[in-house]
Amino acid sequence: MAQSDFATGTPSARAGSAVRLLTVTATELGGAALLGIFLLSDETWVIVLLLAVMGAMFAALQLRPQTEDSIVSAFAEARRPALLLGGAIVLLFPFFMQGSSYALHLLIVAQLYAVLALALNFQLGSANIPNFATGASYGIGAYTSALLAVTFGVSFWLTLPVAAVVATLFGFLLGFPSMRTKESYLALVTIAFGIVVHQLLNNFSWTGGPNGLVGIPAPVLFGHSFASPIEVLGFRLPSQANFYYLSAALVALSIVSAKRLHNSRVGLAWNALRADPLAARCQGINIVWYKMLAFGVDAFLAAFAGTVYAFYVSYISPDNFTFLVSVTIMTMVIVGGMDNTLGVIIGAFLLTMLPEKLRIFADYRLLFVSVVVILFLLLRPQGLFPQRIRSYGDGQ
Amino acid sequence: MTAPLLETRNLTIQFGGLVALNDVSLSLNHSEVLCIIGPNGAGKSTLFNLISGIYQPTRGSVHLEGRDITGQQAHRIAERGIARTFQSSRLFNDLTLLDNVLIGMHTQTRAGVLDALLRPRKAKAELDQAAERAGDLLHDISPELYARRHSLAGALPQADRRRLEIARALASEPKIIMLDEPSSGMDDRDTDALMADVRRVMAERPGLSFLIIEHDMRLVAALPDRVAVIDYGRKIADGDFAEVRLMPRVQEAYLGQKAAAHA
Repeated sequence: MAQSDFATGTPSARAGSAVRLLTVTATELGGAALLGIFLLSDETWVIVLLLAVMGAMFAALQLRPQTEDSIVSAFAEARRPALLLGGAIVLLFPFFMQGSSYALHLLIVAQLYAVLALALNFQLGSANIPNFATGASYGIGAYTSALLAVTFGVSFWLTLPVAAVVATLFGFLLGFPSMRTKESYLALVTIAFGIVVHQLLNNFSWTGGPNGLVGIPAPVLFGHSFASPIEVLGFRLPSQANFYYLSAALVALSIVSAKRLHNSRVGLAWNALRADPLAARCQGINIVWYKMLAFGVDAFLAAFAGTVYAFYVSYISPDNFTFLVSVTIMTMVIVGGMDNTLGVIIGAFLLTMLPEKLRIFADYRLLFVSVVVILFLLLRPQGLFPQRIRSYGDGQ
Repeated sequence: MTAPLLETRNLTIQFGGLVALNDVSLSLNHSEVLCIIGPNGAGKSTLFNLISGIYQPTRGSVHLEGRDITGQQAHRIAERGIARTFQSSRLFNDLTLLDNVLIGMHTQTRAGVLDALLRPRKAKAELDQAAERAGDLLHDISPELYARRHSLAGALPQADRRRLEIARALASEPKIIMLDEPSSGMDDRDTDALMADVRRVMAERPGLSFLIIEHDMRLVAALPDRVAVIDYGRKIADGDFAEVRLMPRVQEAYLGQKAAAHA
């Protein structure tokens, strides 16, 4: 629609689309700049200042909801330019990181957590299923692909789908008890599942026990090893950049999946299940099946993240996939906003990077996470960015 | 004469020691309106919960078009064409009116996870089409509801909640629609407006059968073809309202023994 405005539009329509393009550009570049400064500065006061700026911007959006609406509608109208610019920013971002491998590392971890949080969002956000086992699915994915690669020499690209299928099967398995249990009891079942998986990984000899798996080979794409730096046009990016792009692609895949499922009959059925399971059943929704589907989709995406993680760090142990990881992922969804894709991603970035940048948070990480959850559940249970209303057809 | 559309045979359910519904046999014909009346706690809503598969009967059976559907899951029964509303309307409060009706169309649409992920165009086309039909249906029930179709269901006043619930139930294109006390919690004016809408729906859909629980005698007299009276879990009368109203057992159940003696 934006394009046709340029070609045939009246002067006012043209001015409108220029404003939209400006809004989109300013929002995306502003966000990227904030993230960039945040990643590169080591001074505590700069970080605190940035947080204050973000807080002020958020408060401004809360006070003037029209502003938020106009930004959202600008993105909806100028969808193609927004996507192109966003893609370009993601592509060029590592070049502005001054070769800092630490900044890239943070970005990779944040992106993997964003994928995990989006995966959990299908359950917690869409269907209100409290799943404390996303960390376990993440681990199952990581171990499956690592074992395939280390013992059988299978290529990374092949282990990716295999790990996803294996984790999905486990996800369905975990979904079985959801036929019989609900709410807090279901939460207990998932906690138990997470602990069982962690204990098994710790105690089996073929998983390497507590020592984990070592020497997972770096993926190779068209002869380029992911362990070697990227060199283009005289620029040299540290080897982490390979995984940065890989995890960015995974985030993009997760966003597309999240959008498509949310705006579908399945997303509606999950939302019905969240609002009133009994009424949902009476609309012909097989709630057991839809709960199991949510477990499956969650495990599928989490396994992708697990595989990328395993090949990125090349060494995994059971302690990477504890109950605490699941709780952290859950916090990200709660903070970011239930059933809001952008919100969940922002939640993941904030909760990954804050403890890294502010040592005081790192020392009291668990305390920090708990306080954040309690405060959000009390003060803003819908999260930073609440779910948005669906639209159909031509926005009707 | 063919088999009735819906039939319950000796339907009984026991909760621990309490027999909530005892040996109730009822039948509902094609395009018929049957009203279930009876005092509070008589077991009327329990009967609905048994028919819609939320409870499993201790004894007895439910047949739809001659087919035994006893003990089937609630979503299967909804699929077979029995839609319902609830006494304390159970809408999806955090979704829009349009989404509520769209969810009512769950049995009319097909797209699954793989369609949504891999064939988004097809899934979207199906949903857009359904959304258009949902909008039309909402407009049919009430133009005011249609105008508010993008706002959240939780914000609706009581009478409109009932209307939306009826629209949601109609969205599945059912054979039978069960309304659980549509007038509950509303004043006379709202009730009259709502019942006018219900009568209009009935007139527009001559093939549809209605099973209505009602408390308000005024409405019962105005609405149905036939009434069945339930008291203490048993069916004590079944027939024309004018006849049933005069039966001593019915008057006792409604007014108490002494008052019935004076009536």
